[in-house]
Amino acid sequence: MNPDRTLPWDWYPGRVPDNVAVDPEAYLETTYSFHLFRSAAADAVRIGRGASIYLGVMFDVGPKGRVSVGEFTLINGARIICDAEVSFGDYCLISWNTVFMDTCRLPTSASLRRTELASTASREPRRLESTTIARPIRIERNVWIGFDACILPGVTVGEGSVVGARSVVVEDVPPFSVAVGNPARIIRKLDPLKTENA
Amino acid sequence: MSTTPSTPASGWSNGPLPANVRIGENTLITADYAFKRFRTKQADALCIGSHCTMDGVHFAIEQSGRVSIGDYCYFTNAVLLCELELRIGNYVVVGWNATIADSDFHPLSPAERIVDAIACSPLNQGRPRPEIAKRAVVIEDDVWIGPNATILKGVRLGAGAWIEAGSLVTRDVPPGSRVLGNPAQIVGEVK
Repeated sequence: MNPDRTLPWDWYPGRVPDNVAVDPEAYLETTYSFHLFRSAAADAVRIGRGASIYLGVMFDVGPKGRVSVGEFTLINGARIICDAEVSFGDYCLISWNTVFMDTCRLPTSASLRRTELASTASREPRRLESTTIARPIRIERNVWIGFDACILPGVTVGEGSVVGARSVVVEDVPPFSVAVGNPARIIRKLDPLKTENA
Repeated sequence: MSTTPSTPASGWSNGPLPANVRIGENTLITADYAFKRFRTKQADALCIGSHCTMDGVHFAIEQSGRVSIGDYCYFTNAVLLCELELRIGNYVVVGWNATIADSDFHPLSPAERIVDAIACSPLNQGRPRPEIAKRAVVIEDDVWIGPNATILKGVRLGAGAWIEAGSLVTRDVPPGSRVLGNPAQIVGEVK
C-alpha cells in the first residue's frame, strides 16, 4: 500500500479507508472492494497476514459493521453485507459470487418496509440504512465455501467444514462437516486428522 | 444566478435514456451496462414509477419484451431477462445478483434445440428461431427478494412475499408467505 492508502496496482481510483487495517503481508487487489464501505467503527476491517482479497469482493459494510479476515484466508469473490459482524478465521477458502449477509437491511413487516423505502428514496447516496437487528456471521478457521453459496444472518460455520457450491446455509454447520444443498444439510463428516495424500 | 426549486433528479448515470423508456420523478438508474442488452422495439417497453433506485440493474429486454416497475422499488445489481413481460408492483426490493426471467430462452425438445442452435449460429441466414415458451412474471406489491435468488417464468409472487437469499422459485408464491430453497418451498408466513 502507498503512504496515501492507494494501491500501486489498482485499476480503481480509490483509497483504503483509514479504519481498515491491512497486514503488510496481505494482498488486496482493488479499493473498489470498499466502494460501498461506510463503517465508522474503529478497526472496522482487519485483513491478516498472508490473506488475499481478490477482485470480486465487496465490503458492503454499514456504519457499525465490522469484518475480520484471518491469516492465509483467501476470498475470491464475496458480497459481504454486514451491519454487525462477519468474521473469517485463518486458512479459509472462499469462492466467487458468495454472499455473507448478517442482515436483510429491511424490516420483514411490509408497512415498516414502506416507510424505510420512502426515506431511502430521499437519501443521498441511496443506501439502505439498517433498521433491523443484524446477527453476526462467524466462519471459523479452515472453512471452504463453494461458489454462489449464501450464508444467512446468524450462521456459524464450524472449523474445518466445507459448504458446497450454490448452497444456502440457514443454520449453523458443526465443525468438520460437509454441508450442501438449498437449504443446506450435513451430508458427511470429515476426519480432522486424515490426509488424502499421506 | 437564480436558484429555481428543482424537482428531484431522475435519469441514468451514463447518458440519455433509450426513447422507449419512461421513468417517474426521483428514479435513478446506474451502471454503464444497464441497457447493453436492451433490444426491445416496443413503445414504452420499460416503464418505471417514481422514487425508485435501480442500482446496477441489467435490463436485458428482447425485441417484444415489456417491463413495468412501480414506485419506491429498490433493486441492487438485479438481472431482468425479459422476452414477454415482467410486471412488478410498488415497494419491491430485489437483492444483489438476483435473476428474474420470463422465458427459458431455448426450447425443451432436443430436435427443436438443434434448430435453435443453428438459428443462433453465425451461419444462420435470417431463419427464424423455433417458438420458445414465455410466460409473464408478476411480482405484486411489497415483495422482498434476497441476493442470488432466481425467479422463473410464469411465476406470480403474491403481495408481501419474502423470498430468501439463493431461492429458486418455480411456482407461484401466495401473498405473505416466506419461501426458501431449490426448488423454493413455503417455510412460513411473513411476520
